[in-house]
Amino acid sequence: MPDLRPTRLVALAALVLLASCERRGGCTGEHCGTLVIAAAGEPDILLPPVSEFATTRDVTEPIFLKLADLGLSGNTVGDEDFQPQLAERWEWDAPTTLVFHLDPRARWQDGQAVTAADVAFTYDVYTDSLVNSPFRSSLRQISAVTTRDSLTVVFRFRQRYAEMFYDAVYHMRIMPAHLLRELPRDQWRSTPFGRAPVGDGPYRFVSWKAGQSIELAADSTFFLGRPHIRRLIWRFTPDQQVAVTQLLAGDADAIEVLITPDNVQRACADPKLACYPYKGSQYGYVGFNLTAPGDTTKPHPLFGDRDLRRALVLATDRERPLHNVFGELARVPPGPMSQLWWIWDPEIRELPYDSAQAARLLTRLGWIDSNGDGIRDKDGRELTFRLLVPTTSAIRRQYARLLQESFRTAGVDVQLDEVDFSVFNERARAGRFDALLNVWNTDPTPSSGFPQTWTKAGFGRSNYGRYFNPQVDQLVDRAVSSAANRDQARRAWRSAFDLLNQDAPGIFLFATENVAAVNKRFADVTIRPDSWLALVRSWRVPPDRLTDRDRVER
Amino acid sequence: MIGWVVRRVAASIAIVWAVVTLTFFVIHAAPGSPFLPEQSQNVSPETIRRLVADFGLDRSLLEQYALYIRNLARGNLGESFALRRPVADALADAIPHTFVLALAALFIDFTVGLALGIYQAVRERRVGDIVLGNVALFVNSMPTFWLGLVLLLVFAQRLHGFPIGGIADPVLCPRVDSGACVLDFLWHLTLPALTLGLVGAAGTARFQRAAMLEVIRQEYVRTARAKGLGERRVWLVHALRNALLPFITLVGLAFPFLLTGAVLVETVFAWPGMGLLAVRAILQRDYYVVTGAAIVTSTMVVLGNLIADTLYAAADPRIRVRERSA
Repeated sequence: MPDLRPTRLVALAALVLLASCERRGGCTGEHCGTLVIAAAGEPDILLPPVSEFATTRDVTEPIFLKLADLGLSGNTVGDEDFQPQLAERWEWDAPTTLVFHLDPRARWQDGQAVTAADVAFTYDVYTDSLVNSPFRSSLRQISAVTTRDSLTVVFRFRQRYAEMFYDAVYHMRIMPAHLLRELPRDQWRSTPFGRAPVGDGPYRFVSWKAGQSIELAADSTFFLGRPHIRRLIWRFTPDQQVAVTQLLAGDADAIEVLITPDNVQRACADPKLACYPYKGSQYGYVGFNLTAPGDTTKPHPLFGDRDLRRALVLATDRERPLHNVFGELARVPPGPMSQLWWIWDPEIRELPYDSAQAARLLTRLGWIDSNGDGIRDKDGRELTFRLLVPTTSAIRRQYARLLQESFRTAGVDVQLDEVDFSVFNERARAGRFDALLNVWNTDPTPSSGFPQTWTKAGFGRSNYGRYFNPQVDQLVDRAVSSAANRDQARRAWRSAFDLLNQDAPGIFLFATENVAAVNKRFADVTIRPDSWLALVRSWRVPPDRLTDRDRVER
Repeated sequence: MIGWVVRRVAASIAIVWAVVTLTFFVIHAAPGSPFLPEQSQNVSPETIRRLVADFGLDRSLLEQYALYIRNLARGNLGESFALRRPVADALADAIPHTFVLALAALFIDFTVGLALGIYQAVRERRVGDIVLGNVALFVNSMPTFWLGLVLLLVFAQRLHGFPIGGIADPVLCPRVDSGACVLDFLWHLTLPALTLGLVGAAGTARFQRAAMLEVIRQEYVRTARAKGLGERRVWLVHALRNALLPFITLVGLAFPFLLTGAVLVETVFAWPGMGLLAVRAILQRDYYVVTGAAIVTSTMVVLGNLIADTLYAAADPRIRVRERSA
């Protein structure tokens, strides 16, 4: 009878466990490597037409191809800076007719050829009201997409404009018609295909463990060349700070953005990490509600007054809070724009920080501190307003407090309304606020986002404060539609921003500069600012830097 | 006994129904829209209108409730707005993780708590008892999320002894299919289970110490000593066996603590269980996931108590007699 005392049993069990620890590893050469990406958000569905989450874009980018993609320059005007993907070439048949010739080598990951019918089907899906794609409005200038033969597809536009090519290729990822044609359009939102997609890109889907990770594997037969990194794994965490900590602890290899100066300092000082700064796509601002909260027919009792808004902008030192919150990781924008936009121009006229002029203007408007409590008042009413801030954003909460203090010195009382994001968004859309601290994530071009946020076209949508100046609208229309060359467009945009800044519909606080961090064993890391993993196919781990994790076989 | 069990089951169903109803109305009354997630601010008003209609949220609240209960009776928990999948699938993914975490925590809670309680009782009013008693009180009064953050900071971030959250190494152990991956899983489980288990263990130790001291003064223990039995045998066989009876109730009571504690611990350790799912769903106003999580949690709590009560009643006939006479 063997001796089965508990300690011996435990030792035996541990021995069995260790004995079953199979040896993994073995991959050598140029096509090994595993990239673990720490991500704070999880995709909702891996189906590009029905999701605009940033993590969905990141994960689906290597699975589904576009016809052509934006070049590193980020130039959205014309077609010269775009790189072929599914389309090997293209030509203009007429000023409003664009013909794409598909690469005959392109294949879906189930072996079927990618055809022109897939492209026409994709356009049909993206523009179908039942599918409700968030990109539908971006395709409004395309009147039809038809097939000429199995590898030729024709785009027809309603009018000629500078970013026709961008609109044709940037928003749509081509979908497999043979797998999705039978799917009822109102079921795209939650189809099982979206949790196990079949694509045509350099990586194929392997697994999705809800709340944990998504794994993609390199397609060794990819027609544009075998990807160097064999596996991409997104590791999901509840918040950004945990993601950064995972990176620093070596549990992950890369992160899109480090956000705070403290994180940047820690990551960039880490000998195993390399930092990659790139232009950010976000800008943040205090937006004034120009109409009465909840009643768009009446002007706001304070912010309906252009001079008062101007006084508040003049009273705001935007550099100091920016330095406190972001350090070197952001710039004060010359208007409502991200650093990503090609129209970024420090020469644009804006209201300066001038507290003396602000005080004079407020006094001229009748706002004086009559009772000596430090807050200006007029006709028995104090100069006070509420600032709507989402609790989910630490940066915006920090900014709100700094601004509150800064306004107090100008004799303006600001009360903070800190609410969770869904309440923030609901109140913003309904116009139930005095002012809000908002952030916009922009496309690579101002042509799509700007009209939605700062012209009449955005009423009831993203123009929460209902700012409207017909001259600004006209200039924006001219910039978007008649921009045959960049200089002409730039002039029109500059005039629009000049005018907008003089109207002071908001205080434009920051435009972010991103810093990504990637483990140093990865070489040839190139980041395209509008989509940081767009070029991941060319990243690689040189054979002499491979670790056990890179070599592991499954 | 059967009548008693039937009455208890009926009461349990009524409790779960009450929790579901309350959760349904409270989450629907909360301000904010489920179709305006933080990640996609540019959803058009038309899209929101269509989604509201598709999910039947344009109907009256009572109509929605009636529809929800009807679907629930058919086993349909609805579809998640944010996850774009059936709620039942999302819960099925999450429940095993919470269950494993709760079981591991329960194991730590009872083994550590029991051992400490016995040790303290044996060393009553000596230095060991006093020190451990104060430590237990300190740990017991700590919020679980705070303890979790401290453990994470010290053992994972500073000492690199444990991973920063998650359930497994996604590179080496995508599946728990080898001995190494079992160890990897246990390695990931350690800190969250310790966080949840240690706070409970501190309470269990205090409870067990009191129970042991009460039993040790009984006459049958004195008789055992008088018969000349060794101290070790008196404590571990005669006293402990009787002092363990209230433990059955404690198991039932531990469930609500573990499940509510899991909400915070899962968030701190990125443990993909029901707690994390529920927290995200609340923030995103994902009504059916919140209600589904409430159903599962309340069912588990009620079931835990029901089992504990039933076992206790089976072990102690006085309970049944009292119920009958009432």
